[in-house]
Amino acid sequence: MPMKHLRWAAMPLVVVPLAWLLFTGLGNDPRDIPSPLIGKPLPSFSGTTLDGTSFSSAELMGRPAIINVWASWCIPACVDEHPVLQSTAADYRDRLSVVGILYQDTADDARSFLVRYGDGGWPNLLDASGRIAIDLGVTGPPETFFVDAAGIVRARHIGPMTGAAMAEQLAALGLDQ
Amino acid sequence: MRRLALPVAVAALLALGALVALEALRPRAGLTDAEQAQQIAAELRCPDCQALSVAESQTAAAAAIRAQIVELLTAGRSPDEVRRHFVERYGEWILLAPVAPIAWWLPVVVLVAGIGLLAAWLWRGRRREPNSVPASSSEAARRQVRDEVEQLDA
Repeated sequence: MPMKHLRWAAMPLVVVPLAWLLFTGLGNDPRDIPSPLIGKPLPSFSGTTLDGTSFSSAELMGRPAIINVWASWCIPACVDEHPVLQSTAADYRDRLSVVGILYQDTADDARSFLVRYGDGGWPNLLDASGRIAIDLGVTGPPETFFVDAAGIVRARHIGPMTGAAMAEQLAALGLDQ
Repeated sequence: MRRLALPVAVAALLALGALVALEALRPRAGLTDAEQAQQIAAELRCPDCQALSVAESQTAAAAAIRAQIVELLTAGRSPDEVRRHFVERYGEWILLAPVAPIAWWLPVVVLVAGIGLLAAWLWRGRRREPNSVPASSSEAARRQVRDEVEQLDA
């Protein structure tokens, strides 16, 4: 019966794409979710920095900014990305703001981290109530937000920043070397 | 076996429909703010753990979200507004139950399609093999059929 053979031949046409779809899904990072903040103004936040001064996100207006959510216990990812952030902050000193937001961390632990791995000199805000992390929709450190000069969130990078990812995001913000 | 399958399928479908109707029509008491907060927390995904709700999780992030749910409800926001507050920040990912209608309809569509296929298969099977036991069967034949059916049911 040719009809019956045809039906068996059609089976792989259904099964193979379905299996492929399910299998490739396994490789996806479940944390890699598009942020609803992209294209929207950065939620305003304020707090106390590690050196005791107060900081408000309004200070970021006028030039692009990187907002890095990190924690001293976030090892090795936050340690790995630290040199990338430091060199970026140094290279773009006058054209880019960098702000750190501490995620579920204590001031003492964060200070020890900076003593050990180097303090880039940018403000690091304590988010004791966890409110800033909620407003940014943070799922866990490290996460890095890229904000343009008008205060619009342009991108979010989940996981440690690498040199290549940083260069790509800075170029998208209109910053060239 | 085939002859039993159709009534069983119909009965199962009816039972399912009755359950859905019962759940939809069940009267509900009004919730207190604390119960409302607990209910919303149970619907939100804990941001920094795997497959736990904010209500179940012990992480500081979940505690911060629980605190904010209570705060927003006390400030007079409706449960929907509270949910939207978190969706605007985390995306629909934060909701444990999917929002897309297809996620809810697809299983129903598949179930109905499956019942349809089963019915079609039974219908064809019945037409192809006419009754082996005619209506005017002897007492012996009837007993044999009954025994077979009882064996199947056991």
